[in-house]
Amino acid sequence: MKILIVDDDRINGAILTRLLGREGHPVVIAHNGEDGVDMYHQEQPDLVLMDIRMPRMNGYDAARLIKESASDRFVPIIFLTAVTDEEGLAQCIDAGGDDFLTKPFNRTILQSKIEAMERIRQLHTELSNKKDLLEQHQDQLQQELEVGKHLFSNIVRAGNLLDAPCLKQWTSPLSLFNGDLLMASYNPAGGLHIMLGDFTGHGLSAAVGALPISEIFYDLTAQGFSIGDLVEKMNAKLLTVMPTRMFCASCLIEVDFRQKSLVVWNGGLPDVCIVDMEGKLVLKLPSDHLPLGITTMTRDDRKVRIFEMQENHRLFLHSDGLTEANNANNEMFGMERLEGFFDGRTPPDQLFEAILDGLKQFRGEAPQSDDISFLEVDFSQSNKTQAEESTHKTTKIIPPAPWEISFLFTAETIKNVDPLPTIINSVMSLQSPLGHREKIYTILAELFSNALDHGLLGLDTKTKKTPEGFILYYAQREERLAALEQGTIRLMLTHKPLSSMDNREIGGEIKISIEDSGPGFDHQNVQSILDGNMAHGGRGIALIRSMCRQLVYYGCGNRAEASYRWTYK
Amino acid sequence: MSGTISVTREESETVINIKGRFNFEMHSQFRAAYQEDTGGDKKGRRFVINLAGTEYIDSSALGMLLLLREEAGTNESDIEITNARPEIQKILETANFQRLFKIS
Repeated sequence: MKILIVDDDRINGAILTRLLGREGHPVVIAHNGEDGVDMYHQEQPDLVLMDIRMPRMNGYDAARLIKESASDRFVPIIFLTAVTDEEGLAQCIDAGGDDFLTKPFNRTILQSKIEAMERIRQLHTELSNKKDLLEQHQDQLQQELEVGKHLFSNIVRAGNLLDAPCLKQWTSPLSLFNGDLLMASYNPAGGLHIMLGDFTGHGLSAAVGALPISEIFYDLTAQGFSIGDLVEKMNAKLLTVMPTRMFCASCLIEVDFRQKSLVVWNGGLPDVCIVDMEGKLVLKLPSDHLPLGITTMTRDDRKVRIFEMQENHRLFLHSDGLTEANNANNEMFGMERLEGFFDGRTPPDQLFEAILDGLKQFRGEAPQSDDISFLEVDFSQSNKTQAEESTHKTTKIIPPAPWEISFLFTAETIKNVDPLPTIINSVMSLQSPLGHREKIYTILAELFSNALDHGLLGLDTKTKKTPEGFILYYAQREERLAALEQGTIRLMLTHKPLSSMDNREIGGEIKISIEDSGPGFDHQNVQSILDGNMAHGGRGIALIRSMCRQLVYYGCGNRAEASYRWTYK
Repeated sequence: MSGTISVTREESETVINIKGRFNFEMHSQFRAAYQEDTGGDKKGRRFVINLAGTEYIDSSALGMLLLLREEAGTNESDIEITNARPEIQKILETANFQRLFKIS
């Protein structure tokens, strides 16, 4: 241990040098405070023995300067003093001294004090090394988290339509990573899929589950799969990748302006609230299912609630972080307080902001303890879809060629799978008419559901005329579909190229022919209802007519042929 | 502040009493409470989770219940959750846990 002695008394200095030298410590010596400070910088000793009264600079000032420049390094300073009064000793400590030694020196005391200082110094060095290491780790972790967050938000937000005109959303993550997942995307028929997922816990571990979920959400939505299909796929994925103690409380919603339908699947999230044009609560949709990622799904677990969408209604959805937010008195915001806003006193278009303000005031300075998400869907704006084609754009252009594909679906298939995504995917991979996917999908979907609902299941569109009838219609549909034992739907798609001579404009015509084995339906009557400007139902045929060059019904109405032309400049 | 756990063991039944806040900080305590009674040849044992003194429950706590269910044999497990106060009952219902556990 290298020791610096700062003492103007040469005899003292000599005694100390001898004492310490005998113990094997190298010693350097300075004879005044100023030299002491200089020598400290030159020699970098491990311990300083400091006299107090000295010329040019006293011991207190020298000790202060040494301690200041030592910063993180621990250099113990022991004052050598003749004073024994409390005030004098306190002053030593105050100047940065670590201990003091009273003159005349006792060898044993000196030795043990040096040993004690050595122990503290070692401890200090160890601690400081660990601190450095910890800081390095912290830096590294922070950098990795930043990269992770960047990747995460890009993947989860890819194609997110949270800025859709009908949506208002607010989310407040507890940490860098959000354990609440909020996504929205249009399906090929222009329906909006919305999902709020709340993973167990928060932070990074909660957020990683969001990656596979978001991929399934965007991918299956773009392909035209239904909410039930999405739920089933996500559940299966989470079951395989997530540990038992983690799950995802979720709510999936489909708003289909064209069908005027609202489809809700709620597994583990708080009640979804629907509010009317006066801002009053009309409906609460409770959680019907287990959260995603707990058990394998049965048919019942896929079940959705279907309602007629009322254009002047709004839907409010939140994660439990909102209702469980605490104030300083440890009270929760609560469902009751939230529903209190839906009493008709706040105009519906101001509810979203009013609730967030209310939450902010309620919470005050209380710290946040969970991720919070809050979302409003304004149905009156839900027809304003972005003009843009689906987010999974392909730039590949396939030159138009003649082709023909046909499908035959029997009752067994129709009962168990929705064949539409497969059909549209076949068309898209054969021809990929850019910008036409949505329209072709819509035509196929309408033709197919007409064939199924009216042809095979014998459902009556007129049932849908009232909101109650609307619910009844879908209940009947589900019941009859489950009981369906026979029947077929045959679909044939024929494409022929229709390019201009100079090839400046390419395109083609797709003939869609669909035939069901049902008894047919009154398509002439449907036309007359259409002409009579009906309110609900029967919309499908009008829609197909508006998009196709031609729509003709044959036979007893169980065969339809539509032709659709596409061009690409 | 998290809660405390006490366990009473009988012939074929383990009662786990949870007081205070049942959240992620209770993870190792909760696991320790049931671990010696699960796994291997110990199937068929009954577990009672007594929430009489539980003030708060979060989603990590629900996750711990799922873990107990798995370690006690998933569908063959016999787990009853009792004495939950109304707010906690509501949380269990929202998650539809009545389908996985007996809740009384």
